Amino acid sequence: AAEPWPENAALYQQLKEEQILLSDNASSLAVQAFLQMCNLPIRVVCRANAEYMSPSGKVPFIHVGNQVVSELGPIVQFVKAKGHSLSDGLDEVQKAEMKAYMELVNNMLLTAELYLQWCDDVTVEEITHPRYGSPYPWPLNRILSYQKQWEVRRKMKAIGWAGKTLEQVLEDVDQCCQALSQRLGTQPYFFNKQPTELDALVFGHLFTILTTQLTTDELSEKVKNYSNLTAFCRRIEQQYFEGHDKDSSATVAARSAKRSLLR
Amino acid sequence: SFSPQSLLQAYAKFSGAPLTVNTINNSWRAPKGDVPVLISEDIVISQPAKILNFLRKQKYNADYELSAKQGADTLAYIALLEEKLLPALLHTFWVEAENYCSVTKPWFASRIPFPLSLYLPGKMSREALNRILLTRGGPPLCSLTEVEAQIYRDAKECLNLLSKRLGTSQFFFGDTPTTLDAFVFGFLAPIYKVCFPRVQLQEHLKQLPNLCRFCDDILTCYFRLTVSGHSPAGQDTADANLQKLTQLVNKESNLIEKMDDNLRKSPQHPPRKLTTLKLAAGGEQSSPLNRLSP
Repeated sequence: AAEPWPENAALYQQLKEEQILLSDNASSLAVQAFLQMCNLPIRVVCRANAEYMSPSGKVPFIHVGNQVVSELGPIVQFVKAKGHSLSDGLDEVQKAEMKAYMELVNNMLLTAELYLQWCDDVTVEEITHPRYGSPYPWPLNRILSYQKQWEVRRKMKAIGWAGKTLEQVLEDVDQCCQALSQRLGTQPYFFNKQPTELDALVFGHLFTILTTQLTTDELSEKVKNYSNLTAFCRRIEQQYFEGHDKDSSATVAARSAKRSLLR
Repeated sequence: SFSPQSLLQAYAKFSGAPLTVNTINNSWRAPKGDVPVLISEDIVISQPAKILNFLRKQKYNADYELSAKQGADTLAYIALLEEKLLPALLHTFWVEAENYCSVTKPWFASRIPFPLSLYLPGKMSREALNRILLTRGGPPLCSLTEVEAQIYRDAKECLNLLSKRLGTSQFFFGDTPTTLDAFVFGFLAPIYKVCFPRVQLQEHLKQLPNLCRFCDDILTCYFRLTVSGHSPAGQDTADANLQKLTQLVNKESNLIEKMDDNLRKSPQHPPRKLTTLKLAAGGEQSSPLNRLSP
C-alpha cells in the first residue's frame, strides 16, 4: 500500500544564485522534475553545506519523513517503495533500454559537465573557484575548491578523461545529444506518451546546459543543434514547472535556473 | 575495451575485414610498447580505438545496416556496459586476490618479458582497484567489501538487462552482428570462458542461457579457425583457448573511451572485402617487409 507523502518533504541543494555549479544544478533539476512528474510536492531548500549533509556526499538529497536519500537513482527506488513509479508501464526490454540511456547521460553528459567545470582552466578560474567556496571566508573558500578540484581530477584520470581536450569533450557531448535526439525522434517523451525518470534526467541536464551562461556558448550550442531536444525541454518546463501555482518552489527553481549562473 | 583483442577480432570478423592474428610475446618490441598492433602496408597503428577507426575508414563497417535509433541504442548500451559491468570485470581479473594470484598474474607475466613482468601486473592491479574505488567507492559505502558487493550486484543486474534485451535473437540487432555485439562479446567472453577460482559472475552468466548461446555462437562461427589454427606450437587446445581469451588483460578500460570516440567519428560505408590486413597481437618493428600483397 502506498504510504502517504508528507507535506514537509524537502530537497536540499547548494545556494542557487551564488554557489551551485552546472553539474549539481542539473542533478537537482532532474530530481525536481522527476518528483513533479510523480505529482509529489517538494520544497527546495538551499544550504551552503548541502554537499556535506548529503549521505553520499552528492546533491541533491531529499528529506522525507525521517529518511534522507540522495541522488536520482536511489530516490527513484525510494519513491517506488512508497508506491509511486513512472516506469511500471514499460516492458522488460524497454526498462533495459531506459537504464542504458540513463547510463549514457551519466557517462557522457554528467562527466562532460564535471570536466568543463573542474578541468577546463578558464572555466575553473572564472566560474568554478569563485562560486564553489563563495559562502565561506578566505582561505577556506580556496582550500575547499582546490580540494574538490583535486578529487574530480583524480577521478577523471582514472576513467581516462584527463587526457581529453575540450574539443574532444564537446564532441562527446554532441554524440550523446545526437543519440538522445535520434532516440526521441518525434515523440513527446522517450517512451512515447508518458514521461519516465529518463525524461526527468535528460531534462535536468539539457535544460541546465541551455540556460547556464558559461565562458563560452559552445556547450549550449551543441544542444541547440537538435531542435527536438530543445522542444522537449520547453515542453517539460511548461508542463511541470510553469503550469502550477506561481509561488511554488518548482517554478522558482526553473525561473532562477534560467538566469545566468555566471557571477 | 576490457578485452581489446577479442573485441577487435570480433569486430574484424563481423565487418568482413580479413585479419591475420599473430601472437607475439614480446611487448618490448612493439612500436610504442602497446599491444595489439595493426600493421597495414606502411602504417602502424597501435591502439584498439585507432585500429577500429582505421578499419572503418578502410570501409569495414559492421554498423552499416543499422538505423539511427539503433546506432543511438549502441552508444547507450556501451555506456551501460562500462558503468555497470566493467568494475566487476576489473575486480574479478585484477583485484580479487585468489583470481589475480592464481590466474591473471601468471598468464600475464608469462606473456611479457622479464623485467616488465615483475612490475606491470602489479601496476595494473593497483590501477584497477583505484578506478573501482574512485568511481564507485564513495559514501555511504565505506569498506571495500561493501563496494565489492555493490559492483557485483550491478554487474549481475547488467547481465540480466543484456539477457532481456537479447531475447531470442541471434544478435542484438537482428541476424547480423554489429559493433554492439563485438563490445558485448568482448566483455562476456572472458567471464564465460576463463576458469577462475572465484567465479560468482561466471555462475550468474551461466544462468542466462541466451547470453551463453550468444558467446558460443560467436566463438564457433567466427573464431573456430583461429582458435585451432593459431595456437602456438606445443600447447594444447585448452591452453590455446585460454591464451586467446586472456590476452585481453593487457589494457585498462580507458580504451573504451577511445573506442567510443572513434566509433562516433566513423564514416558510414557499406562493408566490403579488401586487401589483407595484418594484426599483430604483440608488436613488430614496422618495416616494409611487413607489407602483404593484396
